[in-house]
Amino acid sequence: MSEELSIEETVKKIASRILRKTDINFSPTTSFKDFNADSLDIVQILVAVEDTYDIELDDEELQNITNTAAFVEYIERKVAEKG
Amino acid sequence: MSLKGKVALITGGSRGIGRAITLKLADEGADVIINYFRKRSTAELTAQEAREKGVSSHIIKANVGEADKIDSMFDEIEEKFGRLDILVNNAASGVARSALELDTRGWDWTMDINAKAFLLCAQMAAKLMKNGGSMVSISSLGSRLIWPIYTAVGVSKSALEALTRYLAIELAPRGISVNGVAPGAVETEALKMYTASKDLPQQSWQKTPAGGMVQPEDVANVVAFLCSEEAAMIRGQIIVIDGGLSLTSVGVVSIASDEGDRSV
Repeated sequence: MSEELSIEETVKKIASRILRKTDINFSPTTSFKDFNADSLDIVQILVAVEDTYDIELDDEELQNITNTAAFVEYIERKVAEKG
Repeated sequence: MSLKGKVALITGGSRGIGRAITLKLADEGADVIINYFRKRSTAELTAQEAREKGVSSHIIKANVGEADKIDSMFDEIEEKFGRLDILVNNAASGVARSALELDTRGWDWTMDINAKAFLLCAQMAAKLMKNGGSMVSISSLGSRLIWPIYTAVGVSKSALEALTRYLAIELAPRGISVNGVAPGAVETEALKMYTASKDLPQQSWQKTPAGGMVQPEDVANVVAFLCSEEAAMIRGQIIVIDGGLSLTSVGVVSIASDEGDRSV
């Protein structure tokens, strides 16, 4: 999946599946709460992203991420760091 | 007490209470298998600490809330170790909501990880305990006391304790002991997150009759004992580890002092 889609598209697909929504768009002005995500949804999205890219997301770093665009940028950075 | 040469699986064994149990069992000579959910680096750190005690350690990533992940974990254990002597069912999670706010997703998530996982792990572990063994479930005083927004976890821990008793009797003829521990509030990161989520008061937990808060090592010491030969005649019991706090009537005293002296 990750080879065919961009990271943004892949994360969007994961979020859409977990949040059961088809109209998810990532931007600097939207947070997952705008899509009615609760804490369990967030955990499931994080786990799915970690498993997809075999990366480890840092909960403290995630605390500073306030919108969905920044979340995708963070994932992109983590994937790049993994190499 | 010695657990030398035993092979122990600790679910959620990389941090908090699980980490303390892992290191205590390693102290007693057991080779440890650390199951973790998300943080590989934390699991590797705990595994390294265990190895420094002269035992071998192995880490396995698995969400114990998913049956197929449990199957894969035990396949790996069978392949690498060929047997298991100790199962500590410690991994826990939960949705922090009141009963009226709980939805079925949060309920299922909590029950799957906290209660169903022990059933599935015990079934798989029993097959690998060919020469007997020990199982210990990590419950919580929230199974019998009422704490704010703890509904799902409290109910799941009640189920876990009942399952512990059923397994104890069913597995006794196979030389497998099954017991549980129910700690009060233990000083861990998980407790900080729970109390911070709703600004819950902490003062009532900070001083037990025994002095201070329960530490992860206090729990680990009891778990190690329950896994030892010395505890062979203890079956299906849930040992409360709370420094005596639940025997006091802190809540009643608090209400009485708020509303005046009603003694007769």
